[in-house]
Amino acid sequence: MKIKSLVTSTAAALLVLASAGNAMAAEWSYYASQPVGTKLKVDGTSTVHDWTIETSLVGGAMQLPPGFPLDKSIASIPEVKETPKVKVLIPVRRLASGKQAMDNVMQQAMKAEESPMIQFQLTEFKANNEGRKAGDPLTFDTKGKLTVSGKSKDVDLPVSFDPQADGKIKVTGSTKVKMSDFGIDPPAPKVALGLIKTGDEVTVSFEWLTAPK
Amino acid sequence: MKNNENNSDLNRRNFLATSGVAASVAMAGAVELKAQEPANKYDAKASPPVNLGLIGCGPRGREILGTLAVLPNAPVVAVCDTYGAFLRRGKRAAPKATGYEDYKELLADKNVQGVIIATPTHQHKQIVIDALEAGKHVFCEAPIAHTIEDARAIAQAAKKAVKQHFQVGLQNRSDPQRSFLLEFIRTSAMGTNAMARAQWHKKQSWRRDSPVAARRKEINWRLEPKTSLGLIGEIGIHQMDATNWTYNELPTSVTGFGSIRFWNDGRKVADTVQAIIEYKDGLNLAYDATLANSFDADYEMYCGSDSAVMIRGSKAWMFKEVDSPLLGWEVYARKDQFYEETGITLLANATKIADQGGDAEDAARRAVEESALYHALGAFVNNSHKVLSSVEDYITLFGGETGLEDYLTAELAGKKEPYANYMDGYNATICAIKANEAIANSKRIDFSKEWFAIS
Repeated sequence: MKIKSLVTSTAAALLVLASAGNAMAAEWSYYASQPVGTKLKVDGTSTVHDWTIETSLVGGAMQLPPGFPLDKSIASIPEVKETPKVKVLIPVRRLASGKQAMDNVMQQAMKAEESPMIQFQLTEFKANNEGRKAGDPLTFDTKGKLTVSGKSKDVDLPVSFDPQADGKIKVTGSTKVKMSDFGIDPPAPKVALGLIKTGDEVTVSFEWLTAPK
Repeated sequence: MKNNENNSDLNRRNFLATSGVAASVAMAGAVELKAQEPANKYDAKASPPVNLGLIGCGPRGREILGTLAVLPNAPVVAVCDTYGAFLRRGKRAAPKATGYEDYKELLADKNVQGVIIATPTHQHKQIVIDALEAGKHVFCEAPIAHTIEDARAIAQAAKKAVKQHFQVGLQNRSDPQRSFLLEFIRTSAMGTNAMARAQWHKKQSWRRDSPVAARRKEINWRLEPKTSLGLIGEIGIHQMDATNWTYNELPTSVTGFGSIRFWNDGRKVADTVQAIIEYKDGLNLAYDATLANSFDADYEMYCGSDSAVMIRGSKAWMFKEVDSPLLGWEVYARKDQFYEETGITLLANATKIADQGGDAEDAARRAVEESALYHALGAFVNNSHKVLSSVEDYITLFGGETGLEDYLTAELAGKKEPYANYMDGYNATICAIKANEAIANSKRIDFSKEWFAIS
């Protein structure tokens, strides 16, 4: 199956990264996605009403380089020398509105059968100290490659890292993307009273809980 | 994957709910209460297909096959019956299905993802337990069992099977028309609840014939007190469950009467039953069912101080009191005149055919698509797919089942389409068992709270 092979190869790649990291510099730390405590939603608009699809199933992992700042009490976040390795996977069909009919329209628009996974891979990572007070979550400006419906695009993604008392890290972030950038025609289902048009721009926001492994 | 146009949120119900026009005319007569248009509902909201197997190809099983045939996502890949003639008829209704005489072989069929169990009630238990054990999603007909012990065993097995969807064939629970009415009734539009009435009248013997004596005994399980919960258990369970649901209560006691008034053919199961099912504070359901007379068929009636609501099949009517407050939207609703029996109908849905210009085949399809069973089976497939795809995606992303139960509990809470779960099925079955016991012994039985607990 397509999803399986994709995920197996991703998992294998992450494992290779992990073991390579371990061999070269033992301090690279590996954080795996947690199935409970994670939430991702997409907010959009239409000519009738605003809509939201959401999921709690986000897979993937991140690897943080040695010396990565995880202490919230620091007054200024130092620059991170090496870019963390982050890969995120989201099954398209888990993105649900609570209405099967709308989900069907959405999943068809996102070509869920050919491209069952949304993927995100981090490419750039910079500390953001703007307005920082000691104790705030650690904020970063990042860029990454987002792949939806088989099409990739670089996106800007400001995120904040909130290390938890139990060693887990909660990563939150939000960004706006255009459906058309990924070759998705904003769905315009015909209904009894005419045409509903969805707005091209959507807001993706997430709370991603990861735990050290 | 299917997609189409009928996914509007703008249905009449919302229109009525948001309509600000104040009514100025007091309404008399019956006001029809109708939820959104059900036509082609599942074409728009169908999940990807789930492969189904049917166990039990008797009349009920074949009705189920006929309904599954109009769902876009419910391929029947296997059918099973121990009786050759029934199995052949099942296969005729589902030509692509593999036929099995032994349900265990059907359960071993890897192609089958969900099973529908429509065997005689007393055979449910082992089949349900084995089906859940085999990892199948299960739709079990109501009543789920003929004894409290069996019902409990089924409910416990269903509770344990978190990775599977278990649904009981109390189809009213999936009927959008019912959900619509429930909101209506629960918002006190009827005033103070006074009483409920329900009936099921049909002239038919329930006896089935076969040239083989052993087979004759087997197919007439509904006429055997050891295996049958009688009219109230096999039929009345749906109406008792509807009342439990409407009032959001479980009964406190039941008094019953039953007799063989007409089908005096040596049977020991009553052909005519009456029962009073009591809820708290003097709110009662009066129920009767008979195989001797068909007048006025079947309906439920909920009477309140402001109005009464009568539910018949997929339709319902409200009858308002003259002194009840105006709701506003009555003005727009269609009215039907009652106290005017139309007499003989030669073709089911004859008036609808005239109304909608379709032929008999269209009308037959429409009748199926308006049925509660259609909605219940549609919900079964969609819900099963929701569960199985959640499990698949979880294992794909996290490589195993650690934490899966917690995820599923969070993921599926409140997200399934309306359906009767194992607890709904269990409670209704307890009501059926005890009401039947009261009827068989012409007595009153107080419900013990422990009967409604599954462990």
